[in-house]
Amino acid sequence: MLGFARRNLLLYFRDKAAVFFSLLAVLILLALYVFFLGDLIASGLPNFPAKDWLLLSWIIAGILAVTAVTTTLGAFGVMVEDRSTHAYLDFYASPIKRSSLFGGYVISSIVIGIFMCLMTLFAANAILFFTGEEILSFIQLTKVIGVIFLSVAASGSMILFLVSFFKTANAFVAASTLIGTLLGFLAGIYIPIGNLSASLQTIIKFFPTSHSAALFRQLLMEQPMQEAFAHAPRLAKEEFQLNMGVFFEIYGSSTSPLFSVLYLIGTAIVFFALSIAVMKWKRS
Amino acid sequence: MSKIIEVNGLRKSYGSIEAVKDVSFYVEKGSLFSFLGTNGAGKSTTISIMLTLLQHDAGEVKVNGLTVGKDDEAIRKEIGVVFQNSFLDPLLSVRENLDIRARLYGMSKPERLAAIQRVSAVVDISSILKRRYGKLSGGQKRRVDIARALLHKPNILLLDEPTTGLDPQNRKQIWNTILQLQRDTNMTVFLTTHYIEEAANSNYVVVMKEGEIIAKGKPDDLKDQYSADRLMITAHEKEPLRTQLLESQLLFTEEGYSFLINLPTTADAIPLLVQYQDYISSFEVRKSSLDDVFIKIHDGEETADHVRIR
Repeated sequence: MLGFARRNLLLYFRDKAAVFFSLLAVLILLALYVFFLGDLIASGLPNFPAKDWLLLSWIIAGILAVTAVTTTLGAFGVMVEDRSTHAYLDFYASPIKRSSLFGGYVISSIVIGIFMCLMTLFAANAILFFTGEEILSFIQLTKVIGVIFLSVAASGSMILFLVSFFKTANAFVAASTLIGTLLGFLAGIYIPIGNLSASLQTIIKFFPTSHSAALFRQLLMEQPMQEAFAHAPRLAKEEFQLNMGVFFEIYGSSTSPLFSVLYLIGTAIVFFALSIAVMKWKRS
Repeated sequence: MSKIIEVNGLRKSYGSIEAVKDVSFYVEKGSLFSFLGTNGAGKSTTISIMLTLLQHDAGEVKVNGLTVGKDDEAIRKEIGVVFQNSFLDPLLSVRENLDIRARLYGMSKPERLAAIQRVSAVVDISSILKRRYGKLSGGQKRRVDIARALLHKPNILLLDEPTTGLDPQNRKQIWNTILQLQRDTNMTVFLTTHYIEEAANSNYVVVMKEGEIIAKGKPDDLKDQYSADRLMITAHEKEPLRTQLLESQLLFTEEGYSFLINLPTTADAIPLLVQYQDYISSFEVRKSSLDDVFIKIHDGEETADHVRIR
């Protein structure tokens, strides 16, 4: 199983275009902020201390959440490609269990997702450093890495479910593009959740990636928020947090970090079980 | 000789389409066996079942005493397969590809290294191990495919149209490799092809059409059974010879200045040549090839189909 996972990793990283496209959504997001959204969001907010730092951290949190989805999605491209070219026949004709092959695809995709997120985190820290802001502490980093694991597990599971329906590479590419585009909206990453309509807000709260983004925000924005709201009323801070999707308001109360963690774990388990059910159903 | 593959009463349908209709045959251990037929004859379905890739509806397939459907994992170790379309990864090097596929058989690192060295020597690819598979020529790719199939020392080498899409020179080379392999290792070689000249090298041929076996036997037997040799005589003057031939009540056809006479055997030409030597300006005895046999077998069926439709 590990040998097979290794093959998928090699294939993914050797296909430079695949790596680039799985980061494309991230790059577009970054460009949008730099040229357009960053100013838009900043101008909508009053001036307060550490504003740049706070917004930069918010952006980084969003980027991490998107990366966890798009790179894992890109990694599953190997599986779809094998299916569309019938390359799996050679594996099926070998004495390796089908479940090991399946496990190999899952492991490689998870590893790729985590690796790419860690790279993004590393780049984010470098950006913080070069813009003169405070970099993340060791404890924060460990927590962020923990959230990365959770996010990749949840998005990997969702994508596995999705790709179990795809037979051709074209369908997969189309879906990837669509997901890359919609993801930023559905997870409240392009535009803060507070600026959106009530119905869209409800969708965002249900969408698992929003909860990865919220957890990343809680960790990354912790320090700049302390600085920004040191002299502001408590209510102002709470309102800001709900507006920016640091926490979500569900049935009148604010979501706890534990709720988001459990939501992601639940997503991972439910979609993994569904994927296996679909595969079994398709085989029979 | 013992039977290494036995197929009895095999049936497989896709929905209402019967791809394989009650097919039975066997392959002797150590032989070179050819499975002949046009596209859609049911060859691929049959071998997919042998490779445990497809479940059959009825009948029994045994590979080296193991039953398909029961001992699938053991059967996969018995067979090394070269698929018609190559399934190795174009972005990886030849060595990486072979190493990854060797892992599928649970080989340890030293075992994999030894296996790669062994198969590279057999198909002569040692010099291209570091190159990317996707950048190789068609002939090189095919040799790597064969190397991949040999990694686990299978008892049976199954090749699905191995020379399709290759130029004549490469085709010949691949053929020499296959023949040498079979001679040197006494491995059973099971081959599907639609090139008749390739089947001529084999010990036994099975011809399939529309899901059924329409002929089987040794290539020479098939020739004897389905074809006659022909004597072609070109006359100095056409009329006298025609008169003679008509008198002799031989069956013949005319083609320009030539007469074509069907012969039961090649040697039957001799008395005719002696008898008509004064009229002959040149002659030729055409020994029918397996090609003619194949066309004849197929045409026969097609004509029958025609009749049935009408």
